[in-house]
Amino acid sequence: MDRKENQYSQRELVEFLQIAITSIIFLKGIYPPGAFERRRFMNLLVHKARHPQLNRYIHNAVNALVPYIQQGLVERIAVIFFKDDRIPVERFIFKINANVNQSCDDGGENAMMDMRSFLMKLSLSEPISAVVSQDWKWEITGYFSSVPESEDGVWISSNAQQWTQPPLITPIKSMNIQPLSLQLYLEHPPPNH
Amino acid sequence: MSLDSSHPTKSGSNSKRSFNLTNSNNTGRNNNNKRKRKKEGDSGQQTLGMAWGSNSRSSSRSSFRSAPFTDVGSYMAVKNRKLHEQFDAQASSSSHGGSGSKKPVFYGVSIFVDGYTVPSTQELRGYMLKHGGRFENYFSRQRVTHIICSNLPGSKVKNLRSFSRGLPVVKPTWILDCIAADKLLSWVPYQLEQIASEANNQPKLSTFLGLKSNMVSNDPANGPSTSDNNISEVSNSAEGVKQANQEFDFHMHDSFDEEKVTEPTCSNNHENEVPDSPCEPSASEGSRCSDVQNITESPSVVSDSSKRGHSTSLDPNFVETYFKNSRLHFIGTWRNRYRKRFPTSSRPSTSITPSSSSHRNTIIHIDMVIATFLYSHFLKIVSLYQLLSKTALNYGTNQLLFVILIIHVALLKFHQPTTLLETMELGLESLLETQKHFVLTLSSFLTTLKLMKRHVADKFYGVLHKHCKKVQAMSCDEAILDITDLEMEVNDPEILASLIRKEISDTTGCTASAGIAGNILMARLATRSAKPNGQCYLPPEKVNDFLKELPVKVLPGIGRALDEKLKGRNIKTCGDLRMVSKETLQRDCGQKTGDTLWNYCRGIDNRLVGMIQESKSVGADVNWGVRFKDLKDTQNFLMSLCKEVSLRLHGCGVRGRTFTLKVKKRKTDEEPVKYMGCGDCDNFSHSMTVPMATDDVDVLQRITKQLFSHFHIDVKDIRGVGLQVTKLESADTFIQGNERSSIRSWLVPTSSSKDKKSVQITKKVTKKLQNDDHLHQTRSNSTIDIPPMSELDSDVLENLPPDILSEINHFYGGKLNTFISKHKSEITNLPQNIQGKSQNTETMPTSLSQIDDTVLQQLPEELRNDIIHLLPPHRNHQPQPSSPGPPTSQLWVGDPPQWVGKFRSSHIQILRVFSETYSGLKSNSNLSSLLLKSISFSELIISDDDDDDEGISWLCEILKQYIDLKIDSDLEELHTCFRLLKRLSGKSKALVQVYNLTLPHLQMSVGEKYGGSLHI
Repeated sequence: MDRKENQYSQRELVEFLQIAITSIIFLKGIYPPGAFERRRFMNLLVHKARHPQLNRYIHNAVNALVPYIQQGLVERIAVIFFKDDRIPVERFIFKINANVNQSCDDGGENAMMDMRSFLMKLSLSEPISAVVSQDWKWEITGYFSSVPESEDGVWISSNAQQWTQPPLITPIKSMNIQPLSLQLYLEHPPPNH
Repeated sequence: MSLDSSHPTKSGSNSKRSFNLTNSNNTGRNNNNKRKRKKEGDSGQQTLGMAWGSNSRSSSRSSFRSAPFTDVGSYMAVKNRKLHEQFDAQASSSSHGGSGSKKPVFYGVSIFVDGYTVPSTQELRGYMLKHGGRFENYFSRQRVTHIICSNLPGSKVKNLRSFSRGLPVVKPTWILDCIAADKLLSWVPYQLEQIASEANNQPKLSTFLGLKSNMVSNDPANGPSTSDNNISEVSNSAEGVKQANQEFDFHMHDSFDEEKVTEPTCSNNHENEVPDSPCEPSASEGSRCSDVQNITESPSVVSDSSKRGHSTSLDPNFVETYFKNSRLHFIGTWRNRYRKRFPTSSRPSTSITPSSSSHRNTIIHIDMVIATFLYSHFLKIVSLYQLLSKTALNYGTNQLLFVILIIHVALLKFHQPTTLLETMELGLESLLETQKHFVLTLSSFLTTLKLMKRHVADKFYGVLHKHCKKVQAMSCDEAILDITDLEMEVNDPEILASLIRKEISDTTGCTASAGIAGNILMARLATRSAKPNGQCYLPPEKVNDFLKELPVKVLPGIGRALDEKLKGRNIKTCGDLRMVSKETLQRDCGQKTGDTLWNYCRGIDNRLVGMIQESKSVGADVNWGVRFKDLKDTQNFLMSLCKEVSLRLHGCGVRGRTFTLKVKKRKTDEEPVKYMGCGDCDNFSHSMTVPMATDDVDVLQRITKQLFSHFHIDVKDIRGVGLQVTKLESADTFIQGNERSSIRSWLVPTSSSKDKKSVQITKKVTKKLQNDDHLHQTRSNSTIDIPPMSELDSDVLENLPPDILSEINHFYGGKLNTFISKHKSEITNLPQNIQGKSQNTETMPTSLSQIDDTVLQQLPEELRNDIIHLLPPHRNHQPQPSSPGPPTSQLWVGDPPQWVGKFRSSHIQILRVFSETYSGLKSNSNLSSLLLKSISFSELIISDDDDDDEGISWLCEILKQYIDLKIDSDLEELHTCFRLLKRLSGKSKALVQVYNLTLPHLQMSVGEKYGGSLHI
């Protein structure tokens, strides 16, 4: 596999995750709508954070995670919303299955289409449009299947606490682009919590 | 218009106002300052303004002037006036130097610029200043004389009247051209195209009147069916005579070939319902090859129930028989047949390159007249009849003459055949009753005639291919030859043409005309003048003269609409057309058409012989025999129409994105004169574009239904329906290759290093376990961080000390042993498959339920299948252990999945229904689409035999296996499935049970995989 192509598609994944995460943030409405500008991605209307800091956060977080996704270490990427007490209210989880051992014979033809429909579904899905008060906080957290080797202090500990009970899962969209399968689902604390 | 755009204006007025600057040499900064000052409302300026504007404004308005603006209106009034002043001032200063003797170009013209223009508003304003015109910043009906704009939004075009108030809307080039010509030109040619075309398209009252009177004059003479022959209009009018013969041929066949000659009304359906073998559909539609049984079926219906069998309301297979028998359909799909017959020649071979310019091309266009063939044979019939009548039978010559007369008239007057044919049939009918012998002879003769006719086209092409390699088939009796390369051998193309023509007439008995010229266009035009039965050579020198007097209408690509349009511009001949510039043509007729017209009227045609134009649209129209009783009829009809269109799409190997449904609605309640015809109709159409091109019947049906629902027409009024698919894409190139390699490409390389990595991971995990008990605790609390079992390398595991191994085993909840044993079996499996299996059974757990699903999922598919085959079914969740057990095999393997085949013949209705529904779906469909489909079948009430335990257990099994299959990759799909199942369970108690039984399994799997429960 030549290096250049690899680079290209890596950039694409970074872009895609960035957009997906930004979409979630935008759609949840924790920032005023003015904080986002309209962009076009794969001929879809997407949003991009205007604030450089916010933009950088998303960009850096995704960028830092991508090499580990490539190695198959990242299991999930979570966008966690929590209130002041640091107990998460909602977790949007990108579950990543990098089926690296599977041959890429079929199903991968319409990767672009899948990504498009992923973003479309994301923006239309019901749970995401639920109104949120603006005093929520959020963060991007990566869940690894094992601790990556290079631990040079770039990692910061998660702010969010765990739930005590298994959450309620609402799937939003699954996408299978061989050899990567990406599922987005929403985790809520169970109602009795 | 905007404040900024009127900036220079203000500078001008300022200079005027201050009375000490005669020319506007103010700097921009200065202007700005002054403007600011002015905004503050200098009273002196106000009064000055009043003086300047008093001529244009009413005095009542001026009362507001000194007061602060009370509303927008008064503000605008003042502003407008001020702008005028400024403009006037600037105009007087700028045109000062010009010669005052001549009247300025734009004297009396006042323009209003709307939107973006080239040149810009400011430039236009400058021109108006210089040349004595006026420039309005705000539109006003009173002051503006011309509206200038380059482009209009659709809304403004639609409501042009409210936008322009009847003023001319002109393009900015008008101003430039006027200045260049130094006189005021007519604005008409510069009218905005959008509007110009609008105006042309708009039907004038006079045209209506004209049409009406035409029709009235036509009717008595030709029979009242003028509006019925829309089908024949479609075909080239040049073929009219030929068609008449064919038509008649079928017609005769109708009345004679079938035994039901006593019911001659059935032959009225001459245009569409032709139970006739020459109309055999093209070979591409193999499934619907002419089936004698089918063909004879419809006439018998006719005889039984008089005329009712041909309408949509009575014949369930109407659409199929319709297209099977339609002659036009035959012509339309003829090309496919031809391609099959002469595969190499018809392909646009890449080797055919435009011959070098030094070499002169020579093209022959040959048009065979099948009509002559038929006609000659028809004369034979007549002579035969004469013979018969003379020798064997003794019939009155009156009757004979009558028949011959009618036949001749029918041949000539093809376009209004209905009444004539009816009379003829009446005549024949009376004849037939007494002259059975004649009828029999005639009918057998006609049968042979038809068979022969089918061979004529083949013979025709046989001859052509013999003489020339480059043959392009235009239709079954028309072709183009490129004899450029042959010119070495054949010195005179005319000789060759006459040779070919002679051979055609020898082999087929038909005459053919030929046109010889430098390109396809000219050859065709030449043939036109060569007809009938002649040939015409048009050397390049003569092309110009030939074209000069040629009416534009005969050029290919000029239809009625375009012809009318050109006539409106007084363009009647190609000579006239040449006077028009290419740009104007492109502007008026569109980029491409304009270009083509410009080329064609100069005799330029760059098309190559052998090129096959890909069709731009695929569709099917049924305008005959369409009668619906209720909505259900209509839906059925639409379904079959969709099927037909989908078949055609498949046949052409294309998919389309835009779907247009056309409906003909009758204008009057009267039945049209033509039997089952569409009569006088209003045409409606709706279209829809979908993002993904498709040729799928289901999608088509859905779209069609949706489109149909837009019409709001009483189904009883519908006389014709057509479905067209455009924006075609080739089905092969549908998968864009370049997008394929995007994401997956970069993940692939890691697969090679995967083995190594898994070793690393295992090592790491074990190391951690040894070192850090605490970590172990936390980890086992949240199973998140455990590497999936499949990532563990069994080699490493085996080599671990037993105590650590047991610890890890504990860590994995005891599943590790299974994993290792399985891995072993996997290894043994590889070299000796059968042996490995037999070994497996010993080490295997006793039931599928004991195996970790996740492990199973991670295994390669073949291995997984093997294991599942070997294991007893997974049954511990099922409450009916006594019922005959579901199979051991994987139900979701294969395409279609195994269960589909299994259930098809099941005695349990619910399973059969699912199986049938699934088979109706696209291959490789999801369960959710099956469930969705089942929901949409509202009539599908699943049998409610509550004791039907077997069906329930089967369904549970399917669902469980599906869960296992999808839990890893597609939670969304499972979620959808269960939500749909929940919805479906309202319809059937059995499904409630299925739902309740499978849900725990789903939740368990989700809990295992995702550490939560699914919210349904």
